Amino acid sequence: MALLQQIESSGLSQWVRQSGSLWAFPGILLMHTYGMAIMVGIIAGIDLKILGLVPGLPLAPLQKFFPLVWVAFWLNAITGTVLLAADATTKLTNPDFGVKMAFIVLAVINQRMIQTRVFGDPEIDRRPFPSSAKLLAVMSLVCWLGAITSGRLLAYVGNASGL
Amino acid sequence: MIEILSNTSHLHLLLNHVPTTAFFVGLVLFLVALVNGNETLKKTSLAIFVLVAAVTIATYTSGSAAEARLRGTGVRSELPPNVVSAAIHEHEDAALWATALMELTGFFAWLALWQWKSVTKLPAWSLPLVLVLSLAAFAAMSRTAYLGGHISHVEVRPEVVARHQACLAIVDEETKHPGAVANAPENCPWQSAVDEVARAQGAGQKAGEGATRDLGMFVTGRTWVWPALETMHFVGLCMLFTTVLIVNLRLLGMIKVVPYSAVHQLLPFGMIGFGINLITGMLFFVGVPSQYNANAVFYWKIVFVLLGGLNVTYFMLVDDVWTARAGVDAPAGSKIAAASAIVIWVAVLYCGHMLPFIGNAF
Repeated sequence: MALLQQIESSGLSQWVRQSGSLWAFPGILLMHTYGMAIMVGIIAGIDLKILGLVPGLPLAPLQKFFPLVWVAFWLNAITGTVLLAADATTKLTNPDFGVKMAFIVLAVINQRMIQTRVFGDPEIDRRPFPSSAKLLAVMSLVCWLGAITSGRLLAYVGNASGL
Repeated sequence: MIEILSNTSHLHLLLNHVPTTAFFVGLVLFLVALVNGNETLKKTSLAIFVLVAAVTIATYTSGSAAEARLRGTGVRSELPPNVVSAAIHEHEDAALWATALMELTGFFAWLALWQWKSVTKLPAWSLPLVLVLSLAAFAAMSRTAYLGGHISHVEVRPEVVARHQACLAIVDEETKHPGAVANAPENCPWQSAVDEVARAQGAGQKAGEGATRDLGMFVTGRTWVWPALETMHFVGLCMLFTTVLIVNLRLLGMIKVVPYSAVHQLLPFGMIGFGINLITGMLFFVGVPSQYNANAVFYWKIVFVLLGGLNVTYFMLVDDVWTARAGVDAPAGSKIAAASAIVIWVAVLYCGHMLPFIGNAF
């Protein structure tokens, strides 16, 4: 707890929380929201394709979006860390934060598996997707839905500081 | 001009002609097109429905802002003397239903335009459904307009007119036969008829102030509703961005091997995401209208949503975007529209996010 308090009272944390600048808390949270929209938006499109909802769209070309997806992921990892530091004593003692992190870790592992197994299949787009691919796509949607829900609820359940 | 655009009361009086008059024009064109089977006319009227549905969002929200201006926000604020509070609530409740029907009409009109391009034959239910919804929306919107007229035009409010005429009859009778009526008034100001109606309605009114307020109380009165709506609003925005990013980045050349016809299939997914956010967003609005009524960032958010409506309608009507086959560059017009789409939705998200930080809300 002493460590968390130390993190929370650091110069950066105080600036994020208290400066009142639009570049501080509002701007960093905005970047976090853009990152979510880009990453989850594109991944959801890939999942829908694997699940057969967009029959005319070939899957293989969508791998060109991976760099954008991972840039968005790292943007959110960084902005998320800063937001966490600004509110460490509240967020890190909230069990809901652990739930969110669990969903993110599962979603990232799942996404790596989609990239290596589904996109790595030499027969991609030439035959129907195996049920293992569809399972990964469903898991992906469930994990991101879980991450968004538990993330939003951080402001409401457990220790909530209103940030 | 600036005065009209920055004054939400003026704006409501300007915009309220769109869901009534412009929609009526669209409805007549649609009926003519259905009778003589003219395809261009069908598409034109469907596009009018989509655009009117978009403007209806601004009409509804500016109406709430106009009410806030009318009532004032101070502790001792009150309505102008000729306005009966119940007339506003009746208009507001009618507007909520009419807006819901109008948005459904707009969605299915858009879906029909989308199907036109993507399937060889429109499903048999498509246009009949739009017809039924548009007639219902027109009826509900006409009723809304009629009730809206009652707010400040005392001369069209039937109960006020009835009291006024009853009073005039007594004065006439007393003038012809002095002493015929006990306690006859000397004259009949409209205001006393308005006050009588207000008293009668105030006595009959319960604690609640209509369906819109009841819905608002549901949104704010239970701890779980607001967070649940916020979560759905986030899910909806991700769905919208799926479509906005993949479709428009294709047109800008990012996955050129994919034909436009393939990414076109993603459009309904984004439209459903927009629908989720329109519903959840309207519930926030109905829950705490004071957060948005005088909020400049909300004003701009609605402006960008209207631009988004224009943008998606453009893609439903132009043909040259379909020349972007596998490996083929999109035409310049489509590239400009695609870049605009990304800018527009990034701006909508920006405005939504900044509501509590720049605007005077929350």
